[in-house]
Amino acid sequence: MRCKMDQFDEMLKKRAAEEPFPIPQDYAGRVFQTCAGLEETKPRSRRSHRWAACAAAALALFIAVPNVSPAAAAAMAEVPLLGAIVEIITFRSYTYDDGHGAANVTVPELGGSGAAEEISQQVREYTDRLIARFEEDCKTLGTGYEALDVSSTVVTDTEQWFTLRVDAVQTQAGAYQFSRFYHIDKTTGETVSLRDLFRKDTDYVAVLSAQVRQQMDARMAENQEADYFPENFADIDPEQNFYWNEAGDLVLVFDEYAIAPGSMGMQEFTIPANVYEALLK
Amino acid sequence: MIAPQGVLDKEAFCTQVIACQETMFRTAKAILRQDEDAEDAVQDAICTAFASRESLRDIQRFKPWILRILTNKCYDLCRKRRPVVDLEDVADRLAAETTDPIRRMTLWQAVMSLNDDLRVTVTLFYYEGFSVREIGQILGISEAAVKTRLSRGRARLRLILEEK
Repeated sequence: MRCKMDQFDEMLKKRAAEEPFPIPQDYAGRVFQTCAGLEETKPRSRRSHRWAACAAAALALFIAVPNVSPAAAAAMAEVPLLGAIVEIITFRSYTYDDGHGAANVTVPELGGSGAAEEISQQVREYTDRLIARFEEDCKTLGTGYEALDVSSTVVTDTEQWFTLRVDAVQTQAGAYQFSRFYHIDKTTGETVSLRDLFRKDTDYVAVLSAQVRQQMDARMAENQEADYFPENFADIDPEQNFYWNEAGDLVLVFDEYAIAPGSMGMQEFTIPANVYEALLK
Repeated sequence: MIAPQGVLDKEAFCTQVIACQETMFRTAKAILRQDEDAEDAVQDAICTAFASRESLRDIQRFKPWILRILTNKCYDLCRKRRPVVDLEDVADRLAAETTDPIRRMTLWQAVMSLNDDLRVTVTLFYYEGFSVREIGQILGISEAAVKTRLSRGRARLRLILEEK
């Protein structure tokens, strides 16, 4: 099947390279004229932006951020002490607005243990990358519109688990929503990804993927508006985003567009414990 | 990661633009469909790119960099464009539909019959040879979204080209 697909790809690339492509007669001249008319000017100066880190004020702001679920807001109300080893020390807030580009990024700084600091560092690197990309886009967009919104919530804070969810929405021609989940196992003091939950000798990727595929089919059978791409879904990522819901069930999370059209938004699949418990460490 | 370089001067900038002018036209046409709109978008993108050329850190990345600017221009034009159907707008599609079955449909005619999101993704992949990652960067979408669009585009092209 793959071989057949590769052959088809090769054929398309060959045809793309060989078949004549219709370009308007005046096009090359117009490009040349445009180039000739460019005027050397001083490159635009960087627009200002600011990072602010202030604990008390930011905290109030953070809880007031729209779309924060009541449960998350309640969890946040417990800051700065969330558990024995995870503290929210402060909030880092980045804002930017020049009429064409707007960014609003608020994420917590964690401390209290090595694992909390490690997560904090990962979140910082992640948001720095998003902001750098946003600033780059603002410079290249011209008159277009670009927005970046990043917020975070504590989705789990039990005796064993601390999970921070960082949600991002990038808006240009359309909006693209994606999230990252960061976990700490308080009993071991270690940061945890999906891979770390399962024994090394198990094929948890295949087991969970089969379950996701089954649930996609079931949802499509139940609801005509559910429109997944099961044929394009190979496997979950070995480090697929996940969290534990209030009932203690494992929930796998997929970014927008990953397995379904954008109109379906982000997708979550709750995996029954009997599917995977034999594979756990 | 990338060594800081000086800002491109006009001559070097124009050399780069001319080297990728066909790619620019094809990309704009894939989004906008009409020759005239595609030419306008390319012209606009060249001016914007030149004004913000200090943001280009690595000249090796010139092509994806200017294509990102161009695709944003194209989407801007799409938003501003009047929601009317011009006959020229669907010229390629009509051509595709009326092609003599004995005479083979060109790949470009088949590409132009795809849906909006699929056309530009397929064009960047098959005509321009960009990787999934690069296409994601140019269009500002995730790699997963690129793969999804490619997969749907490929399936559709197979249907169109093999049935004719």
